[in-house]
Amino acid sequence: MSTLVTLDPLVLAPALAPALGVVLVLVGDALGPRRAGGRWALPVAAVVLVVGAVLAARGSFGAEAEPLRSLCLPAPDGACLWTAGPRTSSLQAGILLAAAAALALLHDGRPRPRDGAVTAALLLAATTGGVAVAAARDLGTWVVALELATVPVVALVALRGTRGAAHAGLSLLVTSLVSFALLVLGVALWLTATGDATFSSATVATAWEDPQRRAVLVLAVTVLVSGVGFKLSLVPFHAWTPQAYTGADLGTALYLAAASKLSALAALLAPVAAFAGAGLDAPAVVTVLAVPAVASLLLGTVVALRQDDPLRLLAWSTIAQAGWVLVPLTALDGAGMRASVAYVLVYAAATAVAFAALGRIGAGAGARTLEGHRGLLRRDPLAAGPLALALLVLAGLPPGVVGLVVKILALGPPVAAGVWPVTAAGILAVVVGIAVYLRWFAVLLGGPPDRPAPGEQAASADGPGTARRSGRSTTAVLVLGTAVLALTSALPHLLLGGLG
Amino acid sequence: MNPWLLVGLPALAAALGVAVRRDDRLARVVAVVAAGLTGLGAAVLWALDDRGAITGGPGLAAGGLSIPLDLAVDPTRSAMAAVVALVVLAVQLYSTWYLATDDRYGQFAATVSLFAAAMLLVVLSGDLVLTLVGWEVMGWCSYLLIGHWSRRATARRAALKAFLVTRVADIGFVLAVVGLAAGARSTSIADVVGAWRRPGACIDAAVEGGSALGTALTACAAPDANLRAVLLVLLVIGVLGKSAQVPFQDWLADAMEGPTPASALIHAATMVAAGTVVIGSLFEVFAASPTARWFLGVSVSVTMLLAAVLAFAQSDLKRMLAWSTVSQVAVMLSALATAPLAAGPGAGLLHLWSHALFKSLLFLAIGWAALAAGGTAAATLRGSAAASPVLRAAFLAGFLSLAGVPLVVGGLSKEHVIAVAYDGAVAADGPGVLVLVSLVLTSAVTAAYSTRGYLVLTAHVRQRPVLAGVPPVVPVVLAVLVALTVVGGLVVLTGAFAVGEVSVFWLVLSLLVVGVGVGVALRGGFDRDPAEVLARRFTPAADAGLGVDLLYRRAVARPVLRLARVVAFVDTEVVDAYVRGAGTAARVAGWAGTRLHRGQRPSAGVGLVLGGVVVLAAVGVLAWS
Repeated sequence: MSTLVTLDPLVLAPALAPALGVVLVLVGDALGPRRAGGRWALPVAAVVLVVGAVLAARGSFGAEAEPLRSLCLPAPDGACLWTAGPRTSSLQAGILLAAAAALALLHDGRPRPRDGAVTAALLLAATTGGVAVAAARDLGTWVVALELATVPVVALVALRGTRGAAHAGLSLLVTSLVSFALLVLGVALWLTATGDATFSSATVATAWEDPQRRAVLVLAVTVLVSGVGFKLSLVPFHAWTPQAYTGADLGTALYLAAASKLSALAALLAPVAAFAGAGLDAPAVVTVLAVPAVASLLLGTVVALRQDDPLRLLAWSTIAQAGWVLVPLTALDGAGMRASVAYVLVYAAATAVAFAALGRIGAGAGARTLEGHRGLLRRDPLAAGPLALALLVLAGLPPGVVGLVVKILALGPPVAAGVWPVTAAGILAVVVGIAVYLRWFAVLLGGPPDRPAPGEQAASADGPGTARRSGRSTTAVLVLGTAVLALTSALPHLLLGGLG
Repeated sequence: MNPWLLVGLPALAAALGVAVRRDDRLARVVAVVAAGLTGLGAAVLWALDDRGAITGGPGLAAGGLSIPLDLAVDPTRSAMAAVVALVVLAVQLYSTWYLATDDRYGQFAATVSLFAAAMLLVVLSGDLVLTLVGWEVMGWCSYLLIGHWSRRATARRAALKAFLVTRVADIGFVLAVVGLAAGARSTSIADVVGAWRRPGACIDAAVEGGSALGTALTACAAPDANLRAVLLVLLVIGVLGKSAQVPFQDWLADAMEGPTPASALIHAATMVAAGTVVIGSLFEVFAASPTARWFLGVSVSVTMLLAAVLAFAQSDLKRMLAWSTVSQVAVMLSALATAPLAAGPGAGLLHLWSHALFKSLLFLAIGWAALAAGGTAAATLRGSAAASPVLRAAFLAGFLSLAGVPLVVGGLSKEHVIAVAYDGAVAADGPGVLVLVSLVLTSAVTAAYSTRGYLVLTAHVRQRPVLAGVPPVVPVVLAVLVALTVVGGLVVLTGAFAVGEVSVFWLVLSLLVVGVGVGVALRGGFDRDPAEVLARRFTPAADAGLGVDLLYRRAVARPVLRLARVVAFVDTEVVDAYVRGAGTAARVAGWAGTRLHRGQRPSAGVGLVLGGVVVLAAVGVLAWS
């Protein structure tokens, strides 16, 4: 092999597509500055994302048993900087589609984004980072891609320009800086412990043999989990989440809730996979994963129970669901990682549908309380029906069967591995979680209020066109997301088949 | 002919009947035509004379349990199906007149059809699951029929009482069915009989095959003799409840609150006789278990005598017939309790057959007489048979048969029962002697109250009761039943029931016993009610069923209600406290969490992050070291 590294553009396409999209949008904006407020950029970016998603899905449903590899180095054989198995490909497809859904909501959001081209470029850049981190197997790419996935989002939040958005952006920026520092520290410790610049099972196993290197490795994992935990909104790194959700506009919040979580889990899977592959009995690592999982499950669910603002409720629900994503990982095996990916994909789809429904209802301007949604199923079935299904999926109740399936899948590996505290916390969270989501569900289903709630008055003041104000792209997200949830509820093996 | 037709036709009629219940004329046509066709079908089935034919049903396999859902046909079953269909037809025809002015006739007719379907299902069932289905549907239908006049509080209470008492006994029945089916790994009656007939067979075969006794015992755990005794006793408990035997006897007399045609149906051919059919179909297993025989034997011996005495002293003639049913069903069951294995259940089933004829005749006749006289009390009914010559003939034939006078249908079957009981007593395995003594005493008392009934109903009164507007169909129905009551004994010649010979000795003895009974009843002469002469003081107690209703309330209902109160208290105050506490705890935790996150400064977030890292690192390092 004469060249230094192999390069397969088709394999790299999921990351190359949004990156090229950034260039395209920026060049377009340079040629016609501020043309129509840059609104043309959003559909272009969405098309780019969907193309990328299709290319990524090729990997998850492709017939190849071998993972897609590229950027392979000649020296240590088999060391490829880009390795995407079916699991990774599914995550990448999820990230790209979630970003596309966020674009759809941004497109329909009111007030419109100040500068469509900038918004699109930022979102595409963050998505590039998210997709790249999923396939990254070396420390350098991993940390850079993870930062690329984070920093543009801070700008996206702050770009809205309101006071709340500025506060949220600031909070996000500060925590992300701390998290960046932690990640760099963690990567350095990992390199020190293993002497290897990639996340590989072999070197982890060697390092684990030596007690002193083992201590450093445990510390490295601790710091890495902390750094990624910020992105996943794990307790105690969650404080920014409710603020950012309520401060940012709906599309950005959707991006934070869905695409960001997917890429964060993808990032976390790299070190976890190294441990799982080594087949080590590592109680310390399990503890480091289990403590935030349990804390997120309990605190997130319990606080969500008290929320009255739909966005805040979704924020705390995100925190609880992040705990759920971590639950199967505590088993430190392949089945756990598969269950975790399945869970996060279902969560992302359901959350995207919930945000899209809020977009259609007009959460930004109108009803900011649950009471404003009373009887919505009769007033606006196209918004409330998908929202109800999404809530049931999140709660894990039929007919949202897929939510139940992934919850059972998620509890399976810790039970098999005997991690009982996590299992117990999971069961508690299921019980309380049902109350959280059914509270909202009951309001949707309920009869008309005795007297109009304040939110509803505001909504009716906007005139009869309120419900129609959200445009076609939000409706498309609603319909497609509901179709995905319904289809996977009817045939759950479709989802599991895409995870290898 | 497919026996499913016999079950399906009345069931279909019930569904149709509910659909057209608003239109009396249509409901009448549906009920009568379906009953007629069912009767025709049953006759054809009997005439075709299939011996031991099994008609496959929609078989199911539930794990290791096979549920074939077969119907079985043999001459005995066909004969019983025929008599059930006949009684149902008579009842349907009769109630077109009797309930002509009733605003809920449609529901009544549909319920009777459903009842017929259920009873035919039990009679023809070759599968315990089907038996259970028919059994439960009958229980529900009897509730509906007894409570038909639901505007009356007494009718509602009687219906509820019947339902509760039989349901409590059904616990035993269901457990027995489950246990028997589990041991046989099949619900088919043939398989169940085969598996439980010789419970030791499996062990014997294993020991002969060369395995050690211990392994053979574990391998053959399921059917053993003790378990069989327990299951059969449970089965008998269910049968005692449905057949109103001691200690469940009290519901049947109260069930007289229902319309008279319903009483005729429940008493004559269906509900109370169903237990006899079920035990008869499992007779080979039942006969091999002395425990179950004794259990049944003691209960029916007490019941038949007690009920006969109570019947004699009733001030209400309809209730007298009810108690006589209890007594007569005990006679049927006594034949099953004592009959030697070789004799088979034929005598008991023959008595069921004949009882169906004469008891339906008596009920339908007394219904007519009561309408003519305006009440069912003995004093009111006095002389009411004069309303029609058919009525007089009906009472004569019916009471002769009930008394057990030789050669009429009831007498013939009763002699067979006594003969079988004697065989059982001689064999000395089982309650034969006890049952035989009780049977002889009961025969005398039965003759006495039959005489009483006939005397009261046909007494000479100055003013003949007149009832206008009786359609010709009613006398025709009664006449047919009278004819069958007189000559129905010829059924023995068809060979449908496997019964032995009856010697002249038994004929003479039973004549003697009946003579004694009649003689005692006639002590006060022909013009006075024998109950007033002999049992004036006992009548109030007998009318109250010896206060058993009160006993049920004191001994069963009250303790159960107390226990329920205690359980409810524990549930609401102790268990629920934890549940409510959990809810409150979640809310308080949520409130605390919200308070914690009220401050929204970025620095707080950073503090949390750094604190979290320190905690995680500490935990990780501690857990590792």
